[in-house]
Amino acid sequence: MTEHAVQLSGVTKRFGEHTAVADFDLQIPRGTILGLLGPNGSGKTTTIRMIMAILLPDRGTVELLGGSPDFARRNRVGYLPEERGVYEKMKVLEQLVFLGELRGMTRQIVRRRAMEWLERLGLEEWANKKVQQLSKGMQQKVQFIGTVLHDPDLLILDEPFSGLDPINQDVLESIVREQQDKGTTILFSTHLMDQAERLCERVCLISRSRKVLDGNLKELKRRERTGTIAIEFEGDDTWLARLGITNPQRVDDAYHIEAGRGVEPDRLLAVAVAERVMLRRFELLEPSLHEIFVRHAGQPDPEPALGVAGGVQ
Amino acid sequence: MRQVWVVLRREYIERVKTKGFIIATIAMPVLMIGLIGLSAFLSIQAERSERDLALVDLTGQLGETVAAGLEAVGYDVELVDSDVGLQEMDRRVTEDEIEAYVVLDDLTIQEGTFAYRGNEAPGRVRAALFENVVVETVLELRLSFAGNTAGLRELLAGGRLSFESLGEEQSEMERVSGIATGFAGAFLLYFTMLFYGAYVLRSVLDEKRNRVVEVVVSSISPWRLMLGKILGVGSMGLTQVGIWVGCAALIGLLGIPMIAANWPAVDVGELSQLMPGAGSLGLLLVFFLLGYFLYSSLFAAVGAMCSTEEEAQQAQFPVMMLLIIPFILQMTSIEGSGLPWMDWAALFPFFSPIMMYPRAVVGAVPWWMVATSMVLMAAALIGTAWVAGRIYRVGILMQGKRPTLRELVRWIKQA
Ligand SMILES: Nc1ncnc2c1ncn2[C@@H]1O[C@H](COP(=O)(O)OP(=O)(O)OP(=O)(O)O)[C@@H](O)[C@H]1O
Ligand SMILES: [Mg+2]
Repeated sequence: MTEHAVQLSGVTKRFGEHTAVADFDLQIPRGTILGLLGPNGSGKTTTIRMIMAILLPDRGTVELLGGSPDFARRNRVGYLPEERGVYEKMKVLEQLVFLGELRGMTRQIVRRRAMEWLERLGLEEWANKKVQQLSKGMQQKVQFIGTVLHDPDLLILDEPFSGLDPINQDVLESIVREQQDKGTTILFSTHLMDQAERLCERVCLISRSRKVLDGNLKELKRRERTGTIAIEFEGDDTWLARLGITNPQRVDDAYHIEAGRGVEPDRLLAVAVAERVMLRRFELLEPSLHEIFVRHAGQPDPEPALGVAGGVQ
Repeated sequence: MRQVWVVLRREYIERVKTKGFIIATIAMPVLMIGLIGLSAFLSIQAERSERDLALVDLTGQLGETVAAGLEAVGYDVELVDSDVGLQEMDRRVTEDEIEAYVVLDDLTIQEGTFAYRGNEAPGRVRAALFENVVVETVLELRLSFAGNTAGLRELLAGGRLSFESLGEEQSEMERVSGIATGFAGAFLLYFTMLFYGAYVLRSVLDEKRNRVVEVVVSSISPWRLMLGKILGVGSMGLTQVGIWVGCAALIGLLGIPMIAANWPAVDVGELSQLMPGAGSLGLLLVFFLLGYFLYSSLFAAVGAMCSTEEEAQQAQFPVMMLLIIPFILQMTSIEGSGLPWMDWAALFPFFSPIMMYPRAVVGAVPWWMVATSMVLMAAALIGTAWVAGRIYRVGILMQGKRPTLRELVRWIKQA
């Protein structure tokens, strides 16, 4: 087994004149959760469809679970497409049994597993109802069950949280976490930064068909620090003025001191200690994923992917 | 293969469960038989209800024969003495003693015209029967003046060709049976290929439209998916046709003895000869299978090319044409054969089911042509399935507008 569940190199996909994905490299180590982020139309879905061999890249290579994405390998993937698709006229349980049997599971086993999952997601009473009688969110849950039913090695979820209420989002989040604990690799795209921040070990940010950022989330955040220091303390702020910091930005109780004011963190700390300031908080601020996203995806003309693959500082 | 089976079973069960299938399969034949029976019953009832009819013969030569003739076709006619007078007869009609009466006079002998006097015009059936009986009687009378009645009658009837077979013995009844079987078979083949093909198209299109296919083809190759689908719909079709044929056979088996019991005049032996034999049924199955696979793979490819119902309506037009043309050609040659070039047209694989089957059953073409058409169909099937499979494979995952012909060719060439 190779160490990467997914490996894209130099992948490019064009639709007519428009390049949907350009020269894309991506490696997802086995067992990690990777969030694929990017504005609308940036090429997330196209990338995912190429990984699933639904689209063929014009250039570059796609490796899935250590080889070309053939049926044997794709059968070990659980894939939730962006556009939800279900057989509307079929009954919920029959639909799941069909999907399981297609992947080589026996009828009894799929049946049992499907029932377990339906119970877990609060759908057991709907097992023998036609899918079209379910609400959209419920259908989505059924479809999600279809992706995890066969215990896949890799889960590829295209915007799995959209359309779900907060409670179901939490349920789904915990299931995803649980799958990861079992060793499943997970790739999902999302527009929910909070969720991504909570779930992802790694993120990959695409903007305008190109990879902008890719790496371990913690390292990325560290790397994306702007040097702003947040401090909170008792007493007045005259000592800051003596350091030459006038009108510091206030956020709640904290003072935010941006880099570029000529005050290094260690000097600030030393002065604070010397001045006997009662410090309550002293922190090198890390940007939220939301800020990183806006900073990079919002640029009018993003530079081609920065060389941060692998999360090097 | 297990995967193909899983797809086949889903397709079959989901279809057979629907109300549409149950109605079409069971309710329709029952309803049809019921309707035919009912209308036959009603028309007999209507004809029998008021039958107080009278006949006045002013010629004195026709009355008895006409009355007897009418009686033979089921009308009880009172032969009234010509002294009674027409005024008296009119009174009887107006006072509802009788429904109507017929007057035979000299003109009847001269040119076959006669009056039917009543409040309501006679029904079509009645008018035709009356005319028939009267004309027969008059003819008989007038021919008797010329001697050799029988020969003249034959001549008047327009002469007659009698076929003398130099090949195998084929009775007239067998020939009629062949024509009927061929005609019904061509009809059945046309409609089943059309409808079951449309089912396949719909099934492909639905799966593509609701994107289930993206999930499904991550587990199963498009080729197997298509095969499973076609086999599934085909099994449904065989079930349906099987039930119909079974029903028909049952009616035949139960119906013929019933006819024999109620209408002793009908020759039951001849009637049973009309029933298609096992050979023509077996041939029907072969043509159905080849034709169905041929057309359903075309329909599957069309479904895969389209993204919307409207597009599919348009795109299926050429395929429909392939079905309609032989059907129309066949209708012009109901007797099984037709213009000689049609026998050759029947060799064209897409025309063969509809055109070759009736020819084969009637025996209008030599056996080697039938065999050749089967071989050609099988070859065409392999080619069509290959092309359709390639279009299907690419098409089901494509969204957006329908491909142009050039794009289609690229799809097919794509490795
Ligand atoms: N089948 C297609 N034909 C033509 N253009 C396409 C097709 N699929 C995608 N595109 C184009 O490729 C680009 C990337 O689309 P993609 O669906 O990958 O975006 P996305 O990142 O998933 O966006 P979203 O967040 O809205 O889902 C878009 O500009 C889109 O118009
Ligand atoms: Mg998308």
